[in-house]
Parts: sequence; C-alpha cells; structure tokens
Amino acid sequence: MKKLAMMAALLLAAATSNAQSGRDIIERVKNRPDGDTRYAEMQLTLVKKNGDKRERKMVSWAMDQGKDTKKIMFFTYPGDVKGTGFLTWDYDQVGKEDDKWLYLPAMKKTRRISGASSKTDFFMGTDFTYDDMGGRNVDEDTHTLLREEMKDGHKCWVVESVPKDSHEIYSRKVSWIRQDCDTAVYVEFYDKLDKLHRLMTVEDIQKVDGFWTVMKTEMKNVQNGHSTQITVTGPKYDVDVDKNLFTVAKLEKGL
Amino acid sequence: MNYFFKSFLLGAATVLVPAVAAPAQDGLDWSVKGFVDTYHAVRTESPVDWMASRTRVRGEFKLDYKECGAFVSANLVYNALLKDQSGFQLREAYAYWGNPHWDIRAGKQIISWGVADGLRVTDLISPMDYTEFLAQDYDDIRIPVGALRVRFIHDFWNLEAVAVPVAKFFKLPTDPSNPWSVGPLPPEVKPDPVPKNMEYGARFSCFLGGIDFSLMALRTWSKMPELQGDHIGYHRLTVIGGDLSIPFGNFVFRGEIADNIDDDGHHQGNVLGGLDWYPGADWNLSAQFNQIFGAGEHSSLATLRISKALLNNSLTLSTFAYVDVKDGGVFNRLSADWAATDQIHATLGFDLFYARGGMFTHYAHNSEVWVKLKYCF
Repeated sequence: MKKLAMMAALLLAAATSNAQSGRDIIERVKNRPDGDTRYAEMQLTLVKKNGDKRERKMVSWAMDQGKDTKKIMFFTYPGDVKGTGFLTWDYDQVGKEDDKWLYLPAMKKTRRISGASSKTDFFMGTDFTYDDMGGRNVDEDTHTLLREEMKDGHKCWVVESVPKDSHEIYSRKVSWIRQDCDTAVYVEFYDKLDKLHRLMTVEDIQKVDGFWTVMKTEMKNVQNGHSTQITVTGPKYDVDVDKNLFTVAKLEKGL
Repeated sequence: MNYFFKSFLLGAATVLVPAVAAPAQDGLDWSVKGFVDTYHAVRTESPVDWMASRTRVRGEFKLDYKECGAFVSANLVYNALLKDQSGFQLREAYAYWGNPHWDIRAGKQIISWGVADGLRVTDLISPMDYTEFLAQDYDDIRIPVGALRVRFIHDFWNLEAVAVPVAKFFKLPTDPSNPWSVGPLPPEVKPDPVPKNMEYGARFSCFLGGIDFSLMALRTWSKMPELQGDHIGYHRLTVIGGDLSIPFGNFVFRGEIADNIDDDGHHQGNVLGGLDWYPGADWNLSAQFNQIFGAGEHSSLATLRISKALLNNSLTLSTFAYVDVKDGGVFNRLSADWAATDQIHATLGFDLFYARGGMFTHYAHNSEVWVKLKYCF
C-alpha cells in the first residue's frame, strides 16, 4: 500500500512537471524572487573580433511597484559618457509602452525617448538589446517546452520562444533554464533567416542575500565575432531607497 | 610650431593626471573628470584661412558631503586666433544642498528649460555665446549665470524657482580678427545691477506615463543686443509658456510655446513643434519647426538632425541643419566621430553655410572643414 501511494505521488509529481507549459516556465523565470528593490554595479566589456576591448561601467537601482518596475542607471566610465543617466518605468502590461528618459550632462537636458523602439536596439554598443537587459513581458512571445536535459551538470528545461511581433530582431530564441534556480543560463538567438545570431552564456551565478544572482554573462554575436561581458559587483537586495530616486529630478542631479 | 608645442604640453600635462575619485568616507565623496580637446577649422573657399584653432583642458570637480556638495567646471584654453579667448575660464561653480524631496543650488550655473533642441522658446535664462557662432559644442555656447535655484520634488512633478540677481546677455564677436565677427557695434548699455532688474521665474513640470509637460513664467530681459538710439541695449520681458513631450510608438512629439510680453504690452508669440523618430538599428532622426510672430518680428526656422551609430557605437555619423525657412538659408554641421579607444575620440566635420538672405547671410562664405581630437579622463 505504501509503495502504491509513493508511486502515485511520483506519478502525480511527474504529471505536474509535464503539465508545466513553456509559458509557465518563462513566468517562473520572470517571477524569480529578487526583492522589492535592488542595487548593482556593472561592468560591460565589449570585445571586438580582433580582441580589442572597450569598457562601460554603470550603477543601477530598481524598485518594483506591483508588476511594474522603475529603474535608474548612471554611467560612471568612460569619461565621455560619465554622468549620462537612463530612467525607465517598465510596464508589465502587454501593449503599454514603457516610459523612458535620457539625461545627457553635456546638454544639461533630459530628453523623453521612445519606449517602443529602443527595446530592440542594442544597448550602448553592446551585444545586449534593451529587452535582453530585462523587462520583457512573458506574453510578448509564444513559448514551447521542447525538452528537459542536463547542461553543464544542471537539469534544465529547454524552451523555445517565438515573438508575436514580427518586427522583433530575432525570429526565435531557445533557452536552457536551470531548474534549481529558475534562471536561463544559455540562450540561442536566431535571426530572421533562422540562422544562429547570438549566444548568451551565464558564466557565474550565485546566491546573494538569499536571491539567485547572475554575476557574469557573456553575449556573443556569432555572425560578426563581437561579444560583450557583463560583470555584476556588489549586488544588494531590499535596499532602503526613496521612491523619489526614480524621478527626472534625480536623473538630472546625478550620482 | 610654437602653438603645437604648447598644445602638446597642455595635453601631456593632463594625460599624466588620471581621473580620480574617492569613495565615501564619513560621508565625504569627491571626483574629478574632464577632457583635453584640440579643434582646428579651415575655410573651404577663398581665402582658405584658419577659422578656429584652439586647445583646451576641461576639469570638473565634484564634492559631496551628506546632503550638500559643490561642483566646479573650468577651462584652460590656448586659442591661436583669438588671443583674448586664451587663459583660465571658470564655467560653473555652485554649491547645493538637499534631499530627495527638495534641493537648493546657488552659484554660477547653466539653467536649461524646455524640450527644444538647439532653439530657444522657453529656455531663456542662460544666454548664448556666439564667439564662434554655432560652430562650437552646445555646452560651450551656453553662458552660465549666477543664480539661486530651489526645487521641490515629487514622484511625478517638480516645482522649480529661479532667481538671477544680475542678468547675463548674448555674447557677440566684434573682434575684426575673428572670422565670426559681426562687425563693430555701438556701445553696450546693460541694465543697472540693482534688485529691481533681477530675473526671476518658476517652472512646474509633470512627468506622467505617456506625457511630460511644463508650465513656466519668467520675468527676464531680451537677451540679444538691439539698437536703441546711439547704443545697443535690452528691454524687459515677461514670458509665459510651456512645453510637452508625448511618445507614441517609435516617435516622440515635442512642443513648446511662449508669449513674450514687453513692458509696453506688446506680445510676441514663439511656437515650436518637433518630432523625434527612433526607427531602431541605432538610427535617430529629429525635425523641428519654430515660428516667431508678432511685435514687428516674424521668423521661421527649422532644424533636422540625423544620426547613425555603426560598429558597436565606435563610429557615429551625424548631421544637424538649421534652415532659415523665411529668408532662405542653411547651416549644416556634418560629422563623423570615431571612438578610437574608451578615452580618445577623433572627429572630422564639415560646416556648410548657404544663404540668399536672413540670419546666415553674414556667414555665407564661412563654410569650413574641421577636425577635433578629444581625450577624456
């Protein structure tokens, strides 16, 4: 009887696991706990095919408000972009455009920028789009669970995501999502001709303050050989920040 | 040769000073940044002479201690053509105090209002330095003013009040050795530096989902010199206006409007509409149309900006044109900026002037090619 009950429980667990759709998995990734507020310093290293490197450094704060997120970031290096700031109010609702502002210290002016187009533009010359940096709504793609398999010693779900909007820069992406931490650790992006365009690899993931945190990621454009590494230092969660941090006034005041 | 040797020394001295920043210790935090740039321009038509030749070091120092701090920005310039432009120039020097809900800034500062790009509708407090007309970086064209600024900050709105005890005015070049000279001008009579002549105003700004807008009121002066009998002078103005920005899809609409009222009750309207287009792939296009009407003046100006970043933002091609719609004239600045390293930029440009009449007539033969090297630290 005990064996029967155990088998039933296992079957139920397996059935539950199998019933999990690609969308459910991507939603798990999106909803992975990350605190109500966050702070991090980031170093972006841009590497040309010939090995030449350029660097960008920035600091960022984020605050969740329901399903929406407010973010502010400032560049701290190199000197010509130091002080440049981005303020973003990311809305989870499909079809609602994000609100974005850009502050250029040389002009002493804040500009409202399009919340729609910049999502698929590459961020400051890196190989990451603004969308790759976070904020994409789960229902902007159709997700299909392809299989489960081991990747670098970790059990992963493999999920294919196809954008519903044909204007996106990729035709589909395939993500390997670690089941123990609900994090995409390897992603293949395919171009409009369905040729592999970019590869994203998470090289270091750690638990910080009880939250899984991607510490180092590389995005490589396999078509032109350019790549970008993002290294996170000093991440903090549930930091005490005032909501007035996420305002145009703060953007203009700077760090 | 002497000039280039001096330029080299000036640059080398700065290269040896690395960008420094000290982490907060007991709340004290400070940083230094800046750049060295050297800019040279030559006229493309007879007499094919130098239009500009200057090298400078810009230093910016910022100090923060708890809720207050200070900012200083200064230039050390060597100008081979305009000797009176060489030397030490204090740009901004101000102290500030505040928290996330309010702040106060006092001292020499650039105050920038409105949403227009390179045109003035409500952005009237910091005047323009036309020593080299518009052939300078935008932050060099703005003249800082000695001002007190107070802001009240909320999630979705700001209220900003500004007082400028002694107004500053446009700077026009009259030195005959300056290729941008407007020629000799009659003596200038500025308003007396007394409290009743101070500038003051306020701006209320809202930043909402899908729209930004501001309302402003300013007691100011006409900042462009005007002939008043045997001298040039200025007259009092009260300006009421506003601006807005509305993003929709890949576009952002910008608008500004102002009513300039002189003390005799004459009104002059100033209206601007602009459209920014972000089509993706690092393209950026922006067009504006500005109309001034009433009080015996009528002018129509348009601008067009196109830029494209290439090679992972290593190369940026851009063009920015002012078009004098009413009188038929164009000033177009075309440039290619190459980021050789994180610190070094090389820029090659061509400034085209064309005029049948109107505001660009005086510079119709000032088309030039230019090169700029910039090292940021």
